[in-house]
Amino acid sequence: MSQTGNPREDTEEAGPSVDSENPEERIAARRLRIAARSEAKKRQELGDDSHEKKEIKEEARKSQHQVEQSEKRMIKLQSDGTELVTNIQVAADSRESQRQTEVEEAHRLRVEKLENEAKSSLEKFEEITRKWTVAKMKEIPQDLRDSLSSQQQLCALLIEDKNKLILELQQEMKLSDDRYVKNLKKQAEDVDLMIERMEDQVKFLMGSYRDELDQIENSFEHERKILLTGNRTKWEQYMKERRDKELENVMQRMKRVDEYEVLLQQLRTEDAEEYNMIKIKLDTDVQILEQQLQQMKATYQLNQEKLEYNFQVLKKRDEENTITKSQQKRKITRLQDVVNNLKIKCANQEKQSREENQNLTDDYTRIMQQYKHMQKKMRHFAAIDAKKFEEVWLMNEEEVKALVEKALDTDRLVHEQQLGLAWQRPSLAFMERCGPLQPQRQAQKTAHQAISELLQLGQTSGCSPGKGNSEVEREREGSEAEHSGTVSAKMVKKLLELLCDEAGFLIESKLLKLLSPLEKDEQSLMKLDSIFTAMGIESEEDVYKLADFFMKYRHTQGEQTQDASAKWGVASPQAERGEFTSSCSPPSDLIHPNDVLVALRAFTAHHCRPRELATSHQPSMLGLGGRDDTEDAAYWEAMGDVIPEAKLKIWGALETALYKYHIVLTERSKFITDTQSLKQQNTELRMLLHQYVNSRVNAELEIPPNLVMQLAPE
Amino acid sequence: MSKSPGAGMYPPIAKLNLAADPRKMRRIIAEDPEWSLTVVPLLSNLCLQHIVRNFEEKPILEELLPRHKDYVLERLSPSLPLQVTANLISDDGYWKRCCKQRWGLCDVSSYGHSWKRMFFERHLENIIELYIPDATDPKTVLGMVPLCRNYVKRLDISQLMPPIKEPQKSEDDDNSDSASDMGMDGPSMDHFDFGILLDKLSHLEEFHVVYRVKGCGMNFEWNLFEFTFRDCESLAKALKSCKTLRVLRIHQSKVDDEKCRQLVNNLLDHPSLKELNLSHNLIGDRGARAIGKLLNRSKLESLTVYDNNIRGPGAQAIAYALAKNSSLLSLNLRLNRLGDEGGQAIAQALLKNRTLKWLHLGGNEMTEPTATVLSQVLVQNNTLRSINLSCNRLGMDGGKVLEEGMCHNSSMVECDIRLTEVGQESDYCISQVVRNNQNQAHRKHNTEENLA
Repeated sequence: MSQTGNPREDTEEAGPSVDSENPEERIAARRLRIAARSEAKKRQELGDDSHEKKEIKEEARKSQHQVEQSEKRMIKLQSDGTELVTNIQVAADSRESQRQTEVEEAHRLRVEKLENEAKSSLEKFEEITRKWTVAKMKEIPQDLRDSLSSQQQLCALLIEDKNKLILELQQEMKLSDDRYVKNLKKQAEDVDLMIERMEDQVKFLMGSYRDELDQIENSFEHERKILLTGNRTKWEQYMKERRDKELENVMQRMKRVDEYEVLLQQLRTEDAEEYNMIKIKLDTDVQILEQQLQQMKATYQLNQEKLEYNFQVLKKRDEENTITKSQQKRKITRLQDVVNNLKIKCANQEKQSREENQNLTDDYTRIMQQYKHMQKKMRHFAAIDAKKFEEVWLMNEEEVKALVEKALDTDRLVHEQQLGLAWQRPSLAFMERCGPLQPQRQAQKTAHQAISELLQLGQTSGCSPGKGNSEVEREREGSEAEHSGTVSAKMVKKLLELLCDEAGFLIESKLLKLLSPLEKDEQSLMKLDSIFTAMGIESEEDVYKLADFFMKYRHTQGEQTQDASAKWGVASPQAERGEFTSSCSPPSDLIHPNDVLVALRAFTAHHCRPRELATSHQPSMLGLGGRDDTEDAAYWEAMGDVIPEAKLKIWGALETALYKYHIVLTERSKFITDTQSLKQQNTELRMLLHQYVNSRVNAELEIPPNLVMQLAPE
Repeated sequence: MSKSPGAGMYPPIAKLNLAADPRKMRRIIAEDPEWSLTVVPLLSNLCLQHIVRNFEEKPILEELLPRHKDYVLERLSPSLPLQVTANLISDDGYWKRCCKQRWGLCDVSSYGHSWKRMFFERHLENIIELYIPDATDPKTVLGMVPLCRNYVKRLDISQLMPPIKEPQKSEDDDNSDSASDMGMDGPSMDHFDFGILLDKLSHLEEFHVVYRVKGCGMNFEWNLFEFTFRDCESLAKALKSCKTLRVLRIHQSKVDDEKCRQLVNNLLDHPSLKELNLSHNLIGDRGARAIGKLLNRSKLESLTVYDNNIRGPGAQAIAYALAKNSSLLSLNLRLNRLGDEGGQAIAQALLKNRTLKWLHLGGNEMTEPTATVLSQVLVQNNTLRSINLSCNRLGMDGGKVLEEGMCHNSSMVECDIRLTEVGQESDYCISQVVRNNQNQAHRKHNTEENLA
């Protein structure tokens, strides 16, 4: 029964009403304002928008008061209304709580009552049960009946009690049912009332809202009006001011107009005069110009004709030009074709030639290889030839020597046996030697070797100026003697050093760079080498020649130092030896460094020609070609002249004599043999005669030899 | 639309002539006086009409141009099967038509201004409210889940049918009285099991349920209003599984201490629950103790347990929790039996609490002692904004004490002391203070708003 509370009431109650009043109110007010604003906007044109806004802003201060007031009033109204509505709920609440307490109380009473009743009925029941035992004891039917009836009465009483209780409870239930129904009705009434009140409230609130809205609007309107009037008066004031100003301006303007008119009149008269003058002047000008125009026209005519003629000519030319142009164009196209063809041809040619070139280079490389091969072969053959030559030489020599020996032997025999003279063996030096004649000159040292030797010498001499270098020195002198003997090695060395310093420009810069890390001697050696190669000096001889030349040059140059230099130059051996002991040489007077270049140039000029000549007959670099055979003939001649002419004459005379003797001897032998054969024939004939005399056999033969001779051929 | 085919053939020619010679056009008009270019439907319109007609077999909507889409949506029949429309159509206009057709009276503002949400929520509610256990196939509910899962945010179940042996149960069936009476004794008195539904509704935020039958009239039986233990168990589990739930309301469902404890046990540490409403039940002190436990193990902001049977000890338990709580904003204990014992406990708790803003202690048999403690609260606490003490016998002295307390307060915006037998003077004074506070708050709010 207790949960028949009104759910609608609860839902109403569930949302906090008063707390949300303020925001609602505010929202309503704001909505109102927005609506009014938008309406105003709708009503008015867009142009008035800004004006309107401003107005509202200005108004806001005044109307805010009104709005706030309305807001307050509405809040009050609303809270009052809600109170009015919730009063019902509160009343219902209090009734409910009262009912609950009542119900509780009733429940408590009922429980108490029931308990009491239960207790009393239990007592009664116990009494009855007790009586049952008593009744059992009773044996008199009367008593039994009495007790039974009393029991029955008691039971009935008990049941009556119970029934009464039940009735009471039922009545209570009925009552509570009634109450429930009443409650329901009451609650329904409450709900109705509430709804009614709510509706009233809504209506009332709506009305009041509308009123407030009207009021607010009125206030706004009022403010607007005030503003409007204010603005209008302002506006009119400004207008008036403006009007006054304009009037003033107009007056001023009129005054100024008058002034200007006077001025204009003046100007006009002035201008008219000026105009007349100018008109006259211009008239004359016009006449002149017309004349000129006529002239110009005439010339123009002329020119036109000329130009026309020219134009025609040019036209013709143009035509011609076009024709020629077309021709040229055609030609160009043709030539283009030709060019293209030629290009193609050229390309082909190039290709071909490239191929040819390739072939030729291949050929060249091949031929080079062949050539090298040939050279190798040639060298090989040359070596073989030389060897063969030697062998042939040796063989021939042997043969010749044998022949010589034989000749000498025969000579000796002739002398000793035929002539009977004592024979002396002639001196035969060449017989002792064997092998081909070797060329006497030794291979010349190259310039490089020479320099290095010289430098070595200088060094050794610098290091140990004692006996150690004397041997080398001697040797050097020996070789030097062959060339000139005038220039000493020391001198040459100094000269070379000088040359190295002065003729540095002949050395390539790259080489200098490369040389920088080397030792000083090495450096100078390499430098000299390169200088010499630049100058074309190759052999040691040339070096000495150069030195010699320098000496001579100095001789011819320096007159005042002639004596000293002559002593230096000619008597070098002694001087040198003397100097070696002293070990230090003041070579300042050798040749002045400044003159070196001049001398060098003179030397190259002088030296180059013979060089060229020399190079012309020195083509072979094989090294074995130039074997001179001049002495060979002499050698062989000497071989052949072993037997001198006188002896040969003797031999000739002896031969003739012996020949004659031989003839005699042969005749004699012939005679001897003739005699002997004659003797033999004689003996043989004698024998035959004897035989024929003695033999009769022939006669005895049965078959004659003639017959046999005849039969045999058949 | 109902044009003769002959007229339909003209338009191209007419269109050509229209530009060339207006007279020819007039001639056509003479032949068919009703004819006009505007009447001839465009091919696109015909196509769209066809789409509308065959929408059920072949729903084409997203591929259309926006203009055509609108056209189709305007003409779609509201009786199309939900399987087709539910996840395809998001246009509110269509759902508005559906709602209007189905229910007539509709207030879309309480559904977040979404007609679609309204349709699905009300549809699902209808299905559940008419669900009869053992008679209805659970698939009718489960079948709806994939369709409405994304749109249902609130479920307001206003009745739940008990299982019935008769083939049909209705209000006008008078004979079923005795039969159903017998049937009620059977073991199976459980209602619809929410466990199969709640965990599938991924957007559910509010859940209101009442275990009773609406409008039973003369067929009333106590058994119709039964909330069995098994119901409670299944509901509690379902609630636990629904992680998005924010508001839970179980009204008028005979929730007693045991059931309350079971529910609370399952709601402990719920990730999102903000509002709990267990009004019009039979919760006693033990249940109140459980609720007190829940207060500090959840994010509850609003607790409403009015019209229950909570007495002093229960109120003390709640007060103990309240003293330590820092999330609760609103507490409603209307129409309980707190008495002075409970009232004092709550008031003591308010001395320590700094979050509660709204308190309702109406109809709780409180008297003067409570009022004295409350006056202390009024002096010390400046977060409490609204207090309702109506229908308590505070008496003249209590009113004076409250008046004194109120004089030192500046935060209270609302104080209801109707039917508390306080003197008129103190009533007036209190209302004056409240009004002052209101004005101040209003002004403050206004300035804040202006600044914003």
